[in-house]
Amino acid sequence: MYKYVFRRVYQLIIVFFLFLVSSYVLFDAIPGNAFQNLLLNPDLPPEAYEQVIKLYGLDKPLSERVILYIGNFFQGDFGYSYKHFPRTPIELIAERLPRTLMLFAMVNIIAFYTGFLIGKILAWRRGSKSETWITVTSVFSYTIFYPWWALMMLWFFGYKLNWLPIGKFLYPEKWYDAPYDSDVIFVSMIKFTLVVSVVQILVYIYTRNIESLSLRRNVRFISLSILAILSILYWNSGDLAIQKPYAMDIAYHMILPIFTVTVVAFAGTALLTRTTMMEVMKDDFILTARAKGLSQKRIRDRHAARNALLPVVTSFIFTIVTIIDGSVLTETIFSWPGMGQLILDAVLEEDIPVAMASFSFIGVFALIAHFIADISYAYLDPRIRIQSQG
Amino acid sequence: MNILEVKDLDMSYRTIDGEVEAVKKVSFTVKEGESFGIVGESGCGKTSVAMSLLQLQADNGKITNGEIIFNGKNIVGLNEAELREVRWSGISIVFQGAMNSWNPVVKIGEQIREAMREHYPDKTKDENTKKIIELFDIVGLESSIIDRFPHELSGGMKQRAVIALALSCDPKLIIADEPTTALDVVIQDQILKEIRKVQDVLGLSLIYISHDIAVIAEMTDNMAVMYAGSIVEMGKTSKVFSDPKHAYTRMLLESTPSIVGPKKKLRSLDGEPPSLINTDPYCLFSYRCPNPDDNCQNRKIEMKLTKIDTDHYVDKCCVNCG
Ligand SMILES: Nc1ncnc2c1ncn2[C@@H]1O[C@H](COP(=O)(O)OP(=O)(O)O)[C@@H](O)[C@H]1O
Ligand SMILES: [Mg+2]
Repeated sequence: MYKYVFRRVYQLIIVFFLFLVSSYVLFDAIPGNAFQNLLLNPDLPPEAYEQVIKLYGLDKPLSERVILYIGNFFQGDFGYSYKHFPRTPIELIAERLPRTLMLFAMVNIIAFYTGFLIGKILAWRRGSKSETWITVTSVFSYTIFYPWWALMMLWFFGYKLNWLPIGKFLYPEKWYDAPYDSDVIFVSMIKFTLVVSVVQILVYIYTRNIESLSLRRNVRFISLSILAILSILYWNSGDLAIQKPYAMDIAYHMILPIFTVTVVAFAGTALLTRTTMMEVMKDDFILTARAKGLSQKRIRDRHAARNALLPVVTSFIFTIVTIIDGSVLTETIFSWPGMGQLILDAVLEEDIPVAMASFSFIGVFALIAHFIADISYAYLDPRIRIQSQG
Repeated sequence: MNILEVKDLDMSYRTIDGEVEAVKKVSFTVKEGESFGIVGESGCGKTSVAMSLLQLQADNGKITNGEIIFNGKNIVGLNEAELREVRWSGISIVFQGAMNSWNPVVKIGEQIREAMREHYPDKTKDENTKKIIELFDIVGLESSIIDRFPHELSGGMKQRAVIALALSCDPKLIIADEPTTALDVVIQDQILKEIRKVQDVLGLSLIYISHDIAVIAEMTDNMAVMYAGSIVEMGKTSKVFSDPKHAYTRMLLESTPSIVGPKKKLRSLDGEPPSLINTDPYCLFSYRCPNPDDNCQNRKIEMKLTKIDTDHYVDKCCVNCG
């Protein structure tokens, strides 16, 4: 297994290196840039002109610059934004990323969970009326023209019913005298979500081997209740009690985008689960499970769904990769100032250092996700686990 | 005592081409501790009979008539919960494609324990594990197999484990549906011996299904010959072998090399089994009959097993055609 992990890491590093070089060269090939505009400013004295060029290293040939860039990159130096000088790309990303992660982590968790659940039930009830209707609806929401859908949701819930806020990610009037920056709140929210998810997974893994079904269910239920109580206590303690109203404000603004994206995102998982599960249900071991006299629910969850989980998890991890680039559209429509908007602006305004840093960040993110996909695949499928030992 | 009595069982599959009548008026009994064989070409409805007994036929299959009296109680028409009790602790089965009977992502031991938990919820994990080790011992497997995943076992080991699985809930009747078809010859022989041994040691009733009449001879006390969804000859295995009455039985025997006895020319089975869609109640073998008499050619006599000797029955149409 270690050998396998090591080999994967080694491959990933090479892929990332190629990714960096080609991104740099591609950005360089864009005709004209923001930097040129800066230099064409008639107010800039010629001495300064030379200096600025030197400062950014733009007098060197492309090949040298690539090497320089990559060298700096691995020392954690990404240069300065052309647009927001003297802020660095890292500062900009650090501000934007939590907002995007919070929103899309929620969307993906909800979409995966509901998608898998619904797909499972669809496959199990194939041929029934409800199955037909839900499948048709899922196909519809899977293929819907997303911007239109998002605007409709904005119009309906935000304008027509006036239930949910539009066009902002918080109520600025609430934040005038806020003791914290919104980023701090975002980070607390992400930390909290992360801890809760990890605890849930751990509970699930550790209770897996409890022999009695009812005992297992009870243990899980009790641990989740404890988790819920602890969460409430946590948000009412010390510092977080002050942060709470602001966190609530952000959460309130998240409802509409989460709902809108989830409706589209869950359908993919549901349809994929349905198809794979129907395939699995043809397998002989399902017949064995039925012959053993197991309950329908157990056959469905333990045997059919467990085997259908593999491809679904993989596809899920690959969707996570697209969180940031996929967020461009959503963030624009919902005025959510996250990574998506940062990238869009950077590319449109040719703020190359920021664009490069953001893209490399997506690259790292994608590679890590693939890596996790590989490892979790090995965990879910014992057949791969064995092969990978070699 | 009869552990199983099947009476006039009809089962058909609904397809776009029409009803496939896979089991027609099938009746037979299995006594306690007996080994009963069902033989016939592939497609004649053997698996359909087996699946009907557990009522696990495909979704488009339906039992349209007849009774299955297991342990004194008709189990046709029981609801799902009642059937679940009969399954495995009453009747268990070793499937045709037993190689794929295991869920690839769950350990062998857990898959056996899961069945035991369902039928004996009061047993502890240790008790169950102990019992699995005993069963593994009977079928010739090491106890360490409990913690293996299916893909780590060879075909023969998987099949032995399937037999242990089938025994795990102390069934009264085991159905073995071509349990050795996917294995190579040497292993086939070992598995057959294993099944025989298990049946002897535990005094189980067994329904052994095969397309190979030689295996049936080796494995069973009584047997039925199936053709196109119906039983055409039935009786003590020794009698059917020494004095086959139905032309189809003779055809099966002539197509099988005999291990003992004089060498004779092997005949392959001529002709194709008929379609089972919307059939009539007359002998469907008459089209293939090598020396048909008037009965066969007219196709006027409805099929029905007639007694021709103690423990020997043959279809009415074919009593004299041999
Ligand atoms: N699910 C099904 N739908 C339609 N026809 C089926 C189905 N299963 C089996 N059959 C048909 O029923 C007949 C008997 O099949 P089967 O019981 O599998 O025979 P055997 O086990 O003797 O080979 C065959 O003609 C087969 O094509
Ligand atoms: Mg069969």
